[in-house]
Parts: sequence; structure tokens; C-alpha cells
Amino acid sequence: MKLLRITRLVAVASMIPMLSVAGGASMAGAASKSTITVAYPSVYAFDTGPLATKWWNQVKAEFSAKYPNVKVVYVPIPGSYQDVVNKLSLLYRSPSTAPDVAEMPSAQIGLWASSNYLLPMNKYLASTSWWPNFPKVIQSEGTFSKKVYAVNAGENDSALMYNKTMFKKAGIPVPWKPTSWADIISAAQKIKKALPGVTPLWLNAGTGSGANGILQGINNLIVGSSTPTIQTASGKMVVDSPGIRQALSFYRSVYSGGLGASVSDLFSPNAVTDPLTLFKTGKLAMALGSNYYGGNWTKFISAPYWSQAPQVMGDVPIPHFSGGGVASTLAGWDLAIGAGTKNAQAAFNFINVAQSATNLIDAGNWAGWVPPAKNYWTVPLYVNFAPPYNADFAKILPFATLSPTSANYSVWVQGMGQATGAIAQHPNTTVAQAVAILKSYVTNQLGSSAVTTLK
Amino acid sequence: MVSTAPLDTINGPHVSELWNTRNDRERFQWGSLALLTPAFALLVVLFLIPVGYAVYLGFTNLTLVGPTAVHWGFTGAQNLTRLRTDTTFIASLRLTAFFVVGSIIGVVVIGYGLASLLQRAQTWIRVIVGGVVVIAWMMPAITAGMTWYASTTAGGTFATLTGLNQSDFLSSQPLLIVTIANIWSQTGFAMLVIGAALRNIPSEILEAAIVENASPWQRFRLVTLPILRPTITAVVLLVALLSLANFSLIYVMTQGGPGNATNILPLYSYQQAFQFNNLAYGALIGNVMVLLAAFFGVLYVRVATRRS
Repeated sequence: MKLLRITRLVAVASMIPMLSVAGGASMAGAASKSTITVAYPSVYAFDTGPLATKWWNQVKAEFSAKYPNVKVVYVPIPGSYQDVVNKLSLLYRSPSTAPDVAEMPSAQIGLWASSNYLLPMNKYLASTSWWPNFPKVIQSEGTFSKKVYAVNAGENDSALMYNKTMFKKAGIPVPWKPTSWADIISAAQKIKKALPGVTPLWLNAGTGSGANGILQGINNLIVGSSTPTIQTASGKMVVDSPGIRQALSFYRSVYSGGLGASVSDLFSPNAVTDPLTLFKTGKLAMALGSNYYGGNWTKFISAPYWSQAPQVMGDVPIPHFSGGGVASTLAGWDLAIGAGTKNAQAAFNFINVAQSATNLIDAGNWAGWVPPAKNYWTVPLYVNFAPPYNADFAKILPFATLSPTSANYSVWVQGMGQATGAIAQHPNTTVAQAVAILKSYVTNQLGSSAVTTLK
Repeated sequence: MVSTAPLDTINGPHVSELWNTRNDRERFQWGSLALLTPAFALLVVLFLIPVGYAVYLGFTNLTLVGPTAVHWGFTGAQNLTRLRTDTTFIASLRLTAFFVVGSIIGVVVIGYGLASLLQRAQTWIRVIVGGVVVIAWMMPAITAGMTWYASTTAGGTFATLTGLNQSDFLSSQPLLIVTIANIWSQTGFAMLVIGAALRNIPSEILEAAIVENASPWQRFRLVTLPILRPTITAVVLLVALLSLANFSLIYVMTQGGPGNATNILPLYSYQQAFQFNNLAYGALIGNVMVLLAAFFGVLYVRVATRRS
């Protein structure tokens, strides 16, 4: 018995060197494999959470096959737009949590770049085939002081969406081609008269839907007005201008004429996406809409889907205030490298894989974006996913205008939300009163030296 | 017979020890320090340090993102100067006062009313009504907020019951509606506490008052209320603290809007810190809330101590 016990002890002891060799080998193997962390919005950016997971897994699989010595660790960020922004800001504050690569909204790039959280990518972009195909306005989105801090992965722009059937019933010629803002008001008035139970026009108002409500609402009018500036070159926020007054006057015409949606719908946090359902259920005639509408009605994205959408829903560019032209805001989601990364080349290689034609077009289709590279706008895989909307909104992209990216812009957004909300809730609010709301709020928050009035 | 021996020899050597201690004061037990150290350490680590740091941050220029996200520093009274002239903050103070005082009055009055009525009710009524009220109290703030949002917007329960289907009560009277929602969610707590206190009122006192021909109002004012005063005071202070810190309910219902109509201090602090990226200024507004909460907290401790 004692001999057996000694034998067992010797057998175990002799295994120890073998185990440590094996362990050492695996440790050595692990040490040669570097790791990059990638943070991304897991729910908000794509049309659905599962599609976001599918796309990111697709990119990871492609990257891992090409670069087997680099391990990708994902940091999914759930929640709304503001949750994503706040979470990324908090992650960047500590070197141990700052991601190597992050997907971020274009409106925030300037803030993170000024915090020294992002690494310029100029030297890496020179060798890519896709960067030269980005229009200058999209290249400038992540560029500050000639340094490219982020590259776009997909854009949103805006146009007027309208129900062709309702327009025909109201006696408005289809295809509809408004050439001025007055044409939009006139069409809404005809809809109200012919179809009393239908909301004539969806026009985002109030603070409930945050920055996206302003982006997909009044900003589309301001950029098409006689003074499209929201922030001057010196960084001052414009709190009064002929353009702002033109846009607020349009709002007053809509809401004092009973042409807009109810405040219950407008002030809800989900207001920005409400038109998707209202159009489908025949309760809305037209909207200042966005390019993601069309894809959301397809079989691939929603169930039940709206098979008649291409026959029922039309789209047309938003005209300028003075007539003609194309007005639209521009905003999207970009990929950036963290300034503290220890694997800059690996991080850029990941971005390079994500920017492949297949991945960008899939992202465009699954997230409701226009791909940033213009040679993808006519690719059948993109065009045929949501006809005619994908092709139509891609044609608008070159005319679209970027929104400001400074910290003060978020205060201006809140002030403008209060001004438009006041008009929507109390339609007798005059344009002067609405401008006063914007001016007093923004001046109170930022100080008089940070605001300006344009003549 | 009085002893003539020197005092320090009477009853042995311990007399001189007694001469050095005061019998009219509580004696400090040095051994208790060892037992209190873990609790004190937790208090320091989990409360004093974070609160102290937050107080300090309120006097800096720290932002969530931007040039001063990394390179930030002490700015003295700059944020205080801004606070004094911030019209949104001053309006937020008034809104918070309405919300807290309105919640206190509603919770105490309705809580007392329910406790009093249920005391006289049949058992099955007491179980059902008491259960429903307690469920409302235990409901998470987000669930309560969603319930009230759905009920008070166009097409909701309130609109249907009043026959005004398109009426949006939440947008037309936002501060009133969120205050009522807060009262609804906290009444269960008051009902339970006041109900327990009512059951502890000696019946002989009330019977004696009846014998003396006291009216119901006189019995309430001269018998019940004085006995319940400590309980009601404790409920008032606790409801004040809970209402002062109430963020989730209002954020879910209105996000502080329409405009700034429901932008009470917790929401304004959040807005400054996480929407406008002004972490330092948001921390200063939070410090104001801490001062207000400390005031109520000290009152509560004094009331509780006086009762014991």
C-alpha cells in the first residue's frame, strides 16, 4: 500500500514539468497574439439589434481570417444615442477601458478629438483604395486641423416622404415636385381639407427626441434658408438670423394651421421614428423624413413589412426657401482609433476590413445609411435593397450639409428644441417669441460672448 | 453613624477612580473604537470620499469631453458665480420646491386617509385595497413612469375617461401630472407607517374623548394628531428625501420638458453633466441637492432621536 502511494506521488510529480512546458507553450502562443478592443452601439445605430450583431460578427470573422494573430474583443454599448455618447466618453477617460477602435456619431468626433482621445489616421489612409472615393464633405466630417480622426461608415440625409395615394385624392399632381416651402404648406393644406383624419405633415418639434429630432427636423430647413449658418467659423452659436426666422415661420405656419402631428406624438422620445408606423397605417401624408425609412419597410428589416411601400410612398428633395435647390442635413456614424492604442496598425487594419465594399454596402442596407464611397451608390446590391429610396437618397448626399460638432451645439439643440416645442404646443407663439426662447436659453447657458445674431 | 475615616479609604482604592469620573456623563468605551472601525471605514470610502470629491469637482472646469476633459483644474468660485445667475437653475429650484412640497402634502393626506379608512374596513377590503396601494409603492420608478406616461397622453386612460381623446394632460400640465404620479407611487409607504401608528393609539384615550362628547374633528385634532405627530413628521421627511432625489420617474415621463416645465434639480444636474458635458457644473448642482438632502436628513435624525 505504501509502495503504491509512493508510486502515485512519483507519477504526479513527473507530470508537473510536462504540464509547465505545455502551459508555457500555450502562454508563449498567447503572448504572440495581440488584442484590440472595438466599442460599438449594439442597438441604436443599426435598424435592429440582431442586424448589428450580424454585421459586427461578419467583420470580425473576415478580420480574424486575414489577421489570425490579432484577437478582437468587442465592447457592445446598448441604449439610445445619448447612452452611446456618454458610455464612449466614460470609456475614453481611462487607459484601461479606452477602446482601440470605436464607432461613434459624426456629431461628436470634434469633441473627442479635442479631448486628445483619438489618433490621426492620415498616414494609414494614403494606401487605401476607398478613401479617395469619399466625397470631400464626407472626408471633412472627421477632419480637424487637417488631421483625419475618424472615417465614415455610413451617412443619413433627408428628403420629403409623401403618400402618393393620399396626394392624388387631394388633387396634388404626382410625382410631386415642390419648388419652395410655400408648396409644402399648400400641399399640407389640401391634404387637411381632403383627408380630415390624416396628419398632413410630420415636422419634428420639442426636446423629446434630442439632437436627432433637430437634425431630421428644423435643421433641414435652416440649411436651405437664406442664412444656413448655425455656428460661425469663430465658434459662436447663431441664435437669431433671417434663416432661423424663416424656418420658425414655417413651423408656425404648420402648427397654427393644424397641419402637424399632436404634441403627444411629437414629444415622445421615439418621435423621430414614429412616421415609419404612421405612414404604414395610413395616418400620415408626408414627412420631413430620412433615408432609413425605405429600408425599414422591407421584408429583410421588419416583420410584418410593408410590401406596397414602393408603390405608395414617394420621395422628393427638400427645396430651398427661395426656390429650387436641394436642402438636407448630413450626419452619420464613423470609425476611429483611440489615441492610447498599443496596436495602431492592427486597429487600422480592422477599420480597413470594415470599409470593404461588401461590409459598407451591408451596413448601408442594414442600418439605413448611404455608403460613404460614391462608387457604391449605384451597386445593385445597395440600389435593389430598398428601391427607389436607396438610389434617391444617395443622389441627395452630395448636396447635404454637416451639422456643427462643438460642445456648445448640444446647448443650441436644447434651445431650438424648446423654441420649436413652444410653437407646436402653443401655435399662437410668434416667431419673435420663439427666437427669444432660443436666444435666452442659449445665452443663459453659454454666456453672451458665445452667441451671435446674423443679419 | 458617619465614618470619620479619610474618604479615599472608604470602600477601598477604587474610590479615587470614582473621584476622577463624572457619574452624570456617559463614559466613553475605548474598546468600541475597534468595533466601529469597519463601519467607519465604509462610511469614509463609500460616502465621505465620493461626496467630498463631488464637492471639489463642483469648483473645477472638468468636462466629459472636450479640451478640459483631460487637462482640467480648480477654478474657484467661477461655477458658483454662474449658478447665481443661471435662470434655469433658479427656475429648477422653484419646480423642485413645488414637486417636493406637493408630494409631501399629497402622500401624507392620502396616506392618512387610506390608513384611517382601512382601519374601519372589512378584512377583504383592507387586503385588496392595501395590496393594490403597496404594489404601486413597490413598482420600479421606470414602470410607474411608463404607466403614467401612457395614461396621461392623448388616447390614454385619462383622456378616455374624460371623453377628451386627443387631450394630452401630460403636456398641458406636466408638473402637476408628474407630482401626482410621484404621490401615487409613494402613498403606499405612508399608508403602512401611519396605519401602524394608528393601531398603536390606546383605545381608552379615544373612548374617553367620546365620553367627553368630543366631535370627530376634535378627536382628530386634539387626540389623534398629537399622538401621530412624530410618525407624520418622519413620513414627511422621508418623502421629502425620496422626492428630492427622484430622477427616473420624471425622466421617463417628460425628460424634464416640455421646455423646462419639469426640469427639477436631479434632471438639470444630469442634463448639465451628460447632455452638455459640463461634469463640474452638473456636480455643483448635485452638491446643492446634497445640501438640501442633508438639511432634511438632520431633521429626520433629530425627530427619530427625540422619539427614542
